Amino acid sequence: MAQEALLAVDGVSVFYDRFRALADIDVAVGGGEIVSIIGANGAGKSTLLKAILGQAGRVEGRIWLAGEDIVGRTTAAIVALGVMLVPEGRRLFPSLTVEENLWLGWDVGRRGEFGFAELWQLFPQLAERKRQKAGSLSGGQQQMVALGRALLANPRLLLCDEISLGLAPIVIDELYALIPRIKERGVGIVVVEQDISRSLAIADRFYCLLEGRVVLAGRPGEVGRETVVQRYFGL
Amino acid sequence: MAAVWINQLLQGVLLGGLYTMFAIGLSLSAGVMRFVNIAHGDFIVLACFALLILTTSLGLNPVVATLAILPLAFAAGFALQRFLLQRVVGENLLLVVLVTFGLSIIIENGLLQGFGADPEKLSGGWMETATIGLGHGINMGLFQVVTLAAAVALVAALDLLLYRSGIGAKIRAVADDVVAADLIGLSSVRIYAVAMGISFVTIAIAAGFMSIWTDFDPSSGPTRLLIAFEAIVLGGLGSIWGSLVGGIVLGIAQSVGAQFDVAWQMLAGHLVFLLVLVVRPQGLFPKY
Ligand SMILES: Nc1ncnc2c1ncn2[C@@H]1O[C@H](COP(=O)(O)OP(=O)(O)OP(=O)(O)O)[C@@H](O)[C@H]1O
Ligand SMILES: [Mg+2]
Repeated sequence: MAQEALLAVDGVSVFYDRFRALADIDVAVGGGEIVSIIGANGAGKSTLLKAILGQAGRVEGRIWLAGEDIVGRTTAAIVALGVMLVPEGRRLFPSLTVEENLWLGWDVGRRGEFGFAELWQLFPQLAERKRQKAGSLSGGQQQMVALGRALLANPRLLLCDEISLGLAPIVIDELYALIPRIKERGVGIVVVEQDISRSLAIADRFYCLLEGRVVLAGRPGEVGRETVVQRYFGL
Repeated sequence: MAAVWINQLLQGVLLGGLYTMFAIGLSLSAGVMRFVNIAHGDFIVLACFALLILTTSLGLNPVVATLAILPLAFAAGFALQRFLLQRVVGENLLLVVLVTFGLSIIIENGLLQGFGADPEKLSGGWMETATIGLGHGINMGLFQVVTLAAAVALVAALDLLLYRSGIGAKIRAVADDVVAADLIGLSSVRIYAVAMGISFVTIAIAAGFMSIWTDFDPSSGPTRLLIAFEAIVLGGLGSIWGSLVGGIVLGIAQSVGAQFDVAWQMLAGHLVFLLVLVVRPQGLFPKY
């Protein structure tokens, strides 16, 4: 890895009661790097992101963020250090307005150069719908709010969990076009997707999970597609 | 003859102000944390006794005494949620109900030990006896009018807090989706505790008015809980202004019922509650 690691997941296992959802995982993400996590349903992708945020079950091992071990810290503290999640299924607060949803991201996060002015510029559609209830937005607009909410926290590390879920291809393209622009700001980005092609197209590096283990890792250009597909399905 | 009925109607509306105060805190805690604090009424009575001590032994004016216990009430609600109820919240609804039911019994028996079963009351002095005459034999007690005005102000203040402040947005976010709130670093545990603290502030204010309005004894709690519960269900769960409407509807039902027969007072309230529940199970002003 070229950059000094922003995030280093170091021998991490995650348990939900007796069930081990992640087994001795090593994952690293640099600043300004896009890292893709792929894997089938139940592979443990969301669990990895939640573990980083302190929202998974019991975590063993260490998770370093810019040199600090964040295992055991509260989510609020981890977010304040500069980690923010775009949750699977968007998870907006439907009865709150668009603006209120966004404000919450700004409130929990770090102060930084990304503010509401930048946000409205990035998502003009949302500016027109500030006062609308988030629950009344279209799926694509909701995903913009979820992404915007995360960006307003000025994260150093942005975790995106299946942002393409349930959206039209054209909307997905729009959203994915934004990821490199966020990367330019030096933000480390973890992209979780089931869609292998889309995910690898954007990534600098990737990890493939299978039943809680990393079964393949590398740079998209350096690993053949056949190999990725085989490992993805555990063949 | 008409004057008698108009008078009863008016007294009912005023009584609704007091009922709104019982209801508003329960509406907040039930709407945000999704459980009914069975000890809600007993906490109101507990606050009444705290006011009794402050006014009799320290000789404080009831208004001053009420203001004095507001910060204490916030702290008590915060601590109760943070250190006791939070342990059982989300795990199992029945467990929360049992814990608050246990609290209800503890408070009631504790008060019985400390104060005995005799009814107590605070004196509101001149404020309590002053009346406003509207002619035709229709009179309103000044204190009752002030209570209704305070209830409306309390509802408006809570509405502002919930819809115009940062902590209000956080409380509504947690009520919407507590898992999502935790995922983005809104600490639901703290926000729940703040919400319960606010609920307890309304409990203390309700106690301030109730302790002057009517007699209370250690076993007065459950009736207050029932009234609060009926008012918030009538108004629509989670709707702040709905508790005002629910409180007033109950007040009118009881007051008009009592005009037929005194024994009918409580029953009339329950009947109206059941009737609305059958016709409009979502309440008069559903939130969503
Ligand atoms: N809260 C939980 N309690 C118990 N088991 C859980 C919990 N969350 C996840 N799991 C289990 O952990 C495993 C990994 O789940 P996870 O949600 O991380 O998968 P995923 O890779 O994100 O899948 P998907 O692509 O369907 O989102 C699954 O077997 C799942 O059933
Ligand atoms: Mg997932």
